[in-house]
Amino acid sequence: MIPVNVVTGFLGSGKTTLLREILARPEFSDTAVIVNEFGEIGLDHFLLEEVEEGVLLLQSGCVCCTIRSDLQETIRGLQKKASDGLIPDFRRLVIETTGIADPAPIVSTISSEPVINKHFYIGNIICTVDSLAGISTLSTALEASKQVAVADRILVTKTDMASAETMEPLEGKLIEINPTASLQKSTGSNFDAKHLFLDEFRNAFTGTDEALAMLERSDYSADTPKKEPPVSHHTITSFGVEFSAPIDWIAFGIWLTATLHVHGEKILRVKGILNVYESKTPVFINGVQHTMHPPIHLDRWPNGNRSSRIVFITQGLQEDLIRKSFYLFLEAAVPDTDTQSAVTDEAIG
Amino acid sequence: MCGLCGLMGIEHWTETSANSGAFDGDTERSIRHERAHRVRLINKALAPVRMTARDFQASSYILSSSTGRTEIVHDIQALWAAVERLGSNPVDTLSAEYLEQLSAASS
Repeated sequence: MIPVNVVTGFLGSGKTTLLREILARPEFSDTAVIVNEFGEIGLDHFLLEEVEEGVLLLQSGCVCCTIRSDLQETIRGLQKKASDGLIPDFRRLVIETTGIADPAPIVSTISSEPVINKHFYIGNIICTVDSLAGISTLSTALEASKQVAVADRILVTKTDMASAETMEPLEGKLIEINPTASLQKSTGSNFDAKHLFLDEFRNAFTGTDEALAMLERSDYSADTPKKEPPVSHHTITSFGVEFSAPIDWIAFGIWLTATLHVHGEKILRVKGILNVYESKTPVFINGVQHTMHPPIHLDRWPNGNRSSRIVFITQGLQEDLIRKSFYLFLEAAVPDTDTQSAVTDEAIG
Repeated sequence: MCGLCGLMGIEHWTETSANSGAFDGDTERSIRHERAHRVRLINKALAPVRMTARDFQASSYILSSSTGRTEIVHDIQALWAAVERLGSNPVDTLSAEYLEQLSAASS
């Protein structure tokens, strides 16, 4: 399986500079790159493809569940060229979005397209944010806030030109929108490319350490005084939900699939660890809008705390309703203690 | 459709059999046992919209409305869309009215 990294970020935030920098490094020499347009900054790379925007709408019909037909064709084309020996084999794919693109359809394309999802999986989503223009962009452009909301890694760029007075509120705003993402600063080349692109939650050890950091950045208390609606974030907010008793995984799946069916467009990101009856160790969940990635096994409990903790990044949804619904569903699900032999053919149907 | 499909399971993020690497607890259910448990819980969730679901060969679900209309769906995600196609309001887990009905049915 080949990991796909999505590089997103608003216009002029440094996406292409980031790409040019990593592609010069030996560990990324077998990386294929797909860009939406050849920008002003040239990328000199032998595995470079350009796509033109094209969209197929899936039956469910919402924007985040679209399959990008252009991307579908381009990825399949790259695969065919590699298998025909026309280009070298590649072990990583990086997709650079346009500055105003919503990355969710790209995630949906990789995860839902039945041929592509057999060969590729979504790795880290990296979002670049301009340290100078970031605050103002996040206040005025909904696309910029959504790009930050769906990211796994945020790279604040051009920090050599930003003062502490600029950086502090920007970092505060980024953590407020997306406490699940790790945050790095860059002045051009001094960033940790391995952490940005290569360290993924699929690695159980990396995943546990990162889960710990992520969970510590979030607030799970239902009693925390609610902030005023953050108008400057276009009502994108994040909050954590904690559940101390073990969870029935089946009930959780029913609740989340039903919730995402109706409200998936407004649930920009779901990330968390669960203590489920079905596992002794934590199960990590991760989703972007309607698309949920397969659950991942983590090898130990962060800080020994065995409660389930989930972070939601939402747009215009009421936190207290999500909390109430989550608790009600899970408490109503009495775990089945039947032995397998007690399941009759009639019950199976 | 042959019975083997049920033994092999289906690929969906909610199915433990499709993601066995993530689950290492003592509560290991067979595919059919897990499906039977899921159907019991789905029916609790469907009660407020007066629909029922049952498992079909551990590979699909058959959804039925109170007027007898039925639809077969592949996985649980598709089931919620089918609820609306069969003429019901959506199962809106964040609706105060739905939660009240669910709570009343559970107590």
